[in-house]
Amino acid sequence: MSATVSEKGDAPAGKQPDQLFTLKRWNAVAVWSWDVECDTCAICRVQVMDACLRCQADNKQEGCVVVWGECNHSFHNCCMSLWVEQNNRCPLCQKEWVIQGTGK
Amino acid sequence: MLWNAIIFGPENTPFEDGTFKLTIQFTEEYPNKPPCVKFVSKMFHPNIYADGGICLDILQNRWSPTYDVASILTSIQSLLDEPNPNSPANSHAALLYTENRREYDRRVGSIVEESWKQ
Repeated sequence: MSATVSEKGDAPAGKQPDQLFTLKRWNAVAVWSWDVECDTCAICRVQVMDACLRCQADNKQEGCVVVWGECNHSFHNCCMSLWVEQNNRCPLCQKEWVIQGTGK
Repeated sequence: MLWNAIIFGPENTPFEDGTFKLTIQFTEEYPNKPPCVKFVSKMFHPNIYADGGICLDILQNRWSPTYDVASILTSIQSLLDEPNPNSPANSHAALLYTENRREYDRRVGSIVEESWKQ
Protein backbone atom coordinates (compact mmCIF):
# COMPACT_ATOMS: atom_id res chain seq x y z
CA MET A 1 0.00 0.00 0.00
CA SER A 2 1.47 3.34 -0.98
CA ALA A 3 -1.28 5.80 -0.05
CA THR A 4 -0.54 8.84 2.05
CA VAL A 5 -3.09 9.79 4.66
CA SER A 6 -3.52 13.39 5.70
CA GLU A 7 -3.04 13.74 9.41
CA LYS A 8 -5.90 16.17 9.89
CA GLY A 9 -9.36 14.98 9.03
CA ASP A 10 -10.27 18.27 7.41
CA ALA A 11 -6.96 19.05 5.72
CA PRO A 12 -7.51 20.98 2.49
CA ALA A 13 -6.89 18.78 -0.48
CA GLY A 14 -4.44 19.73 -3.20
CA LYS A 15 -1.66 21.32 -1.10
CA GLN A 16 0.43 18.25 -1.48
CA PRO A 17 0.09 16.96 -5.03
CA ASP A 18 1.26 13.46 -4.08
CA GLN A 19 -1.67 13.07 -1.69
CA LEU A 20 -3.87 10.25 -2.89
CA PHE A 21 -6.83 10.73 -0.54
CA THR A 22 -8.01 12.74 2.42
CA LEU A 23 -9.36 11.27 5.57
CA LYS A 24 -12.70 12.98 6.15
CA ARG A 25 -14.28 10.98 8.91
CA TRP A 26 -13.28 8.52 11.64
CA ASN A 27 -15.56 5.84 12.95
CA ALA A 28 -14.26 4.60 16.27
CA VAL A 29 -15.40 1.14 17.28
CA ALA A 30 -14.84 -0.01 20.86
CA VAL A 31 -15.00 -3.61 22.00
CA TRP A 32 -15.10 -4.60 25.65
CA SER A 33 -14.80 -7.79 27.63
CA TRP A 34 -14.34 -8.70 31.26
CA ASP A 35 -10.76 -8.30 32.44
CA VAL A 36 -10.64 -11.90 33.60
CA GLU A 37 -9.41 -15.12 32.07
CA CYS A 38 -12.74 -16.76 31.27
CA ASP A 39 -16.15 -15.34 30.59
CA THR A 40 -18.17 -18.52 30.93
CA CYS A 41 -18.83 -19.85 34.42
CA ALA A 42 -17.16 -23.26 34.43
CA ILE A 43 -19.59 -24.48 37.09
CA CYS A 44 -22.97 -23.80 35.44
CA ARG A 45 -21.70 -23.14 31.87
CA VAL A 46 -23.58 -19.85 31.51
CA GLN A 47 -21.75 -16.61 30.63
CA VAL A 48 -20.77 -14.76 33.81
CA MET A 49 -22.44 -11.54 32.60
CA ASP A 50 -25.77 -13.39 32.52
CA ALA A 51 -27.47 -14.77 35.61
CA CYS A 52 -26.44 -18.29 36.61
CA LEU A 53 -28.57 -21.31 35.73
CA ARG A 54 -30.12 -21.48 39.19
CA CYS A 55 -31.01 -17.78 39.33
CA GLN A 56 -32.50 -17.94 35.83
CA ALA A 57 -34.69 -20.85 36.91
CA ASP A 58 -35.74 -19.03 40.10
CA ASN A 59 -36.24 -15.74 38.21
CA LYS A 60 -33.74 -13.91 40.46
CA GLN A 61 -31.55 -12.47 37.70
CA GLU A 62 -30.98 -9.14 39.48
CA GLY A 63 -28.93 -10.32 42.45
CA CYS A 64 -26.68 -12.69 40.50
CA VAL A 65 -23.17 -11.20 40.53
CA VAL A 66 -19.76 -12.28 39.30
CA VAL A 67 -16.95 -13.21 41.66
CA TRP A 68 -13.30 -13.44 40.65
CA GLY A 69 -10.45 -14.86 42.59
CA GLU A 70 -6.83 -13.88 42.99
CA CYS A 71 -6.08 -16.56 40.36
CA ASN A 72 -8.14 -14.40 37.93
CA HIS A 73 -10.72 -17.13 37.32
CA SER A 74 -14.30 -15.94 37.50
CA PHE A 75 -17.61 -17.62 38.28
CA HIS A 76 -21.09 -16.67 39.37
CA ASN A 77 -20.98 -15.80 43.05
CA CYS A 78 -23.95 -18.14 43.64
CA CYS A 79 -22.19 -21.08 41.94
CA MET A 80 -18.92 -20.45 43.75
CA SER A 81 -20.41 -20.02 47.21
CA LEU A 82 -21.98 -23.49 46.94
CA TRP A 83 -18.70 -25.01 45.79
CA VAL A 84 -16.46 -23.48 48.49
CA GLU A 85 -18.62 -25.22 51.11
CA GLN A 86 -17.21 -28.46 49.65
CA ASN A 87 -13.66 -27.39 48.94
CA ASN A 88 -12.10 -23.94 49.17
CA ARG A 89 -10.16 -24.28 45.92
CA CYS A 90 -10.58 -22.77 42.48
CA PRO A 91 -12.38 -25.41 40.37
CA LEU A 92 -10.16 -24.53 37.40
CA CYS A 93 -6.62 -24.24 38.78
CA GLN A 94 -7.03 -25.91 42.22
CA LYS A 95 -5.33 -22.97 43.95
CA GLU A 96 -6.74 -21.88 47.28
CA TRP A 97 -9.76 -19.69 46.57
CA VAL A 98 -9.19 -16.09 47.63
CA ILE A 99 -11.77 -13.58 46.44
CA GLN A 100 -10.32 -10.64 44.53
CA GLY A 101 -13.65 -8.95 43.95
CA THR A 102 -17.31 -9.22 43.14
CA GLY A 103 -19.48 -7.15 40.87
CA LYS A 104 -21.89 -6.99 38.02
CA MET B 1 -31.34 -38.70 38.13
CA LEU B 2 -29.88 -41.89 36.67
CA TRP B 3 -28.01 -42.00 33.38
CA ASN B 4 -26.81 -45.03 31.48
CA ALA B 5 -23.48 -44.87 29.69
CA ILE B 6 -21.22 -47.07 27.59
CA ILE B 7 -17.44 -46.91 27.47
CA PHE B 8 -15.58 -48.51 24.59
CA GLY B 9 -12.39 -50.27 25.60
CA PRO B 10 -9.46 -48.21 24.27
CA GLU B 11 -7.69 -49.51 21.15
CA ASN B 12 -4.39 -51.35 21.47
CA THR B 13 -5.11 -52.32 25.07
CA PRO B 14 -6.43 -55.59 26.53
CA PHE B 15 -9.81 -53.80 26.89
CA GLU B 16 -10.08 -53.15 23.11
CA ASP B 17 -13.50 -53.98 21.60
CA GLY B 18 -15.18 -54.09 25.01
CA THR B 19 -18.54 -52.29 25.36
CA PHE B 20 -18.77 -51.64 29.08
CA LYS B 21 -22.05 -50.40 30.52
CA LEU B 22 -22.16 -47.97 33.43
CA THR B 23 -24.71 -46.04 35.44
CA ILE B 24 -24.23 -42.45 36.55
CA GLN B 25 -26.36 -41.40 39.50
CA PHE B 26 -26.63 -37.63 40.02
CA THR B 27 -27.86 -35.96 43.18
CA GLU B 28 -29.39 -32.50 43.47
CA GLU B 29 -25.97 -31.31 44.61
CA TYR B 30 -24.30 -32.01 41.26
CA PRO B 31 -21.98 -30.41 40.15
CA ASN B 32 -20.88 -29.48 43.66
CA LYS B 33 -20.70 -33.16 44.51
CA PRO B 34 -19.59 -35.87 42.08
CA PRO B 35 -22.16 -38.30 40.65
CA CYS B 36 -21.92 -41.95 41.68
CA VAL B 37 -20.49 -43.86 38.72
CA LYS B 38 -20.58 -47.66 38.61
CA PHE B 39 -19.87 -50.33 36.07
CA VAL B 40 -22.85 -52.57 35.35
CA SER B 41 -20.79 -54.84 33.11
CA LYS B 42 -18.54 -57.26 34.91
CA MET B 43 -15.02 -55.81 35.13
CA PHE B 44 -11.55 -57.07 35.93
CA HIS B 45 -9.35 -54.13 36.83
CA PRO B 46 -7.12 -53.19 39.80
CA ASN B 47 -9.16 -50.07 40.61
CA ILE B 48 -12.70 -51.39 40.10
CA TYR B 49 -14.54 -53.07 42.98
CA ALA B 50 -16.52 -56.28 42.62
CA ASP B 51 -19.78 -54.29 42.80
CA GLY B 52 -18.67 -52.08 39.88
CA GLY B 53 -17.64 -49.12 42.04
CA ILE B 54 -14.67 -47.17 40.72
CA CYS B 55 -11.69 -45.99 42.74
CA LEU B 56 -10.74 -42.82 40.88
CA ASP B 57 -9.49 -39.65 42.58
CA ILE B 58 -11.52 -37.24 40.45
CA LEU B 59 -14.72 -39.02 41.53
CA GLN B 60 -13.75 -38.62 45.18
CA ASN B 61 -11.36 -36.15 46.81
CA ARG B 62 -10.15 -34.49 43.60
CA TRP B 63 -13.61 -33.75 42.21
CA SER B 64 -14.10 -30.33 40.59
CA PRO B 65 -17.49 -28.87 39.63
CA THR B 66 -16.05 -28.15 36.18
CA TYR B 67 -16.12 -31.87 35.29
CA ASP B 68 -18.96 -32.98 33.07
CA VAL B 69 -20.14 -36.40 31.90
CA ALA B 70 -17.77 -36.39 28.94
CA SER B 71 -14.73 -35.67 31.09
CA ILE B 72 -15.75 -38.29 33.67
CA LEU B 73 -16.17 -40.98 31.01
CA THR B 74 -12.90 -40.02 29.31
CA SER B 75 -11.08 -40.27 32.64
CA ILE B 76 -12.56 -43.71 33.32
CA GLN B 77 -11.66 -44.82 29.81
CA SER B 78 -8.03 -43.83 30.36
CA LEU B 79 -8.03 -45.48 33.78
CA LEU B 80 -8.71 -48.81 32.04
CA ASP B 81 -5.22 -49.00 30.53
CA GLU B 82 -3.48 -46.96 33.23
CA PRO B 83 -4.41 -48.67 36.47
CA ASN B 84 -2.93 -47.60 39.77
CA PRO B 85 -1.88 -50.88 41.44
CA ASN B 86 -1.00 -48.98 44.64
CA SER B 87 -4.61 -48.41 45.64
CA PRO B 88 -6.23 -51.67 44.62
CA ALA B 89 -9.98 -52.18 44.70
CA ASN B 90 -9.47 -55.66 43.27
CA SER B 91 -6.31 -57.07 44.84
CA HIS B 92 -6.28 -60.14 42.60
CA ALA B 93 -6.36 -57.96 39.47
CA ALA B 94 -3.65 -55.73 40.96
CA LEU B 95 -1.44 -58.72 41.70
CA LEU B 96 -1.83 -60.20 38.22
CA TYR B 97 -1.23 -56.78 36.65
CA THR B 98 2.15 -56.46 38.35
CA GLU B 99 3.25 -60.09 38.42
CA ASN B 100 1.58 -62.03 35.61
CA ARG B 101 0.59 -59.74 32.77
CA ARG B 102 -0.28 -62.63 30.42
CA GLU B 103 -2.85 -64.00 32.83
CA TYR B 104 -4.09 -60.45 33.51
CA ASP B 105 -4.62 -59.86 29.78
CA ARG B 106 -6.42 -63.20 29.48
CA ARG B 107 -8.80 -62.37 32.34
CA VAL B 108 -9.47 -58.95 30.83
CA GLY B 109 -10.12 -60.65 27.48
CA SER B 110 -12.83 -62.77 29.05
CA ILE B 111 -14.68 -59.77 30.52
CA VAL B 112 -14.39 -58.04 27.12
CA GLU B 113 -16.23 -61.00 25.57
CA GLU B 114 -18.77 -60.96 28.39
CA SER B 115 -19.46 -57.27 27.76
CA TRP B 116 -20.91 -58.10 24.33
CA LYS B 117 -23.56 -60.43 25.76
CA GLN B 118 -25.44 -58.07 28.04
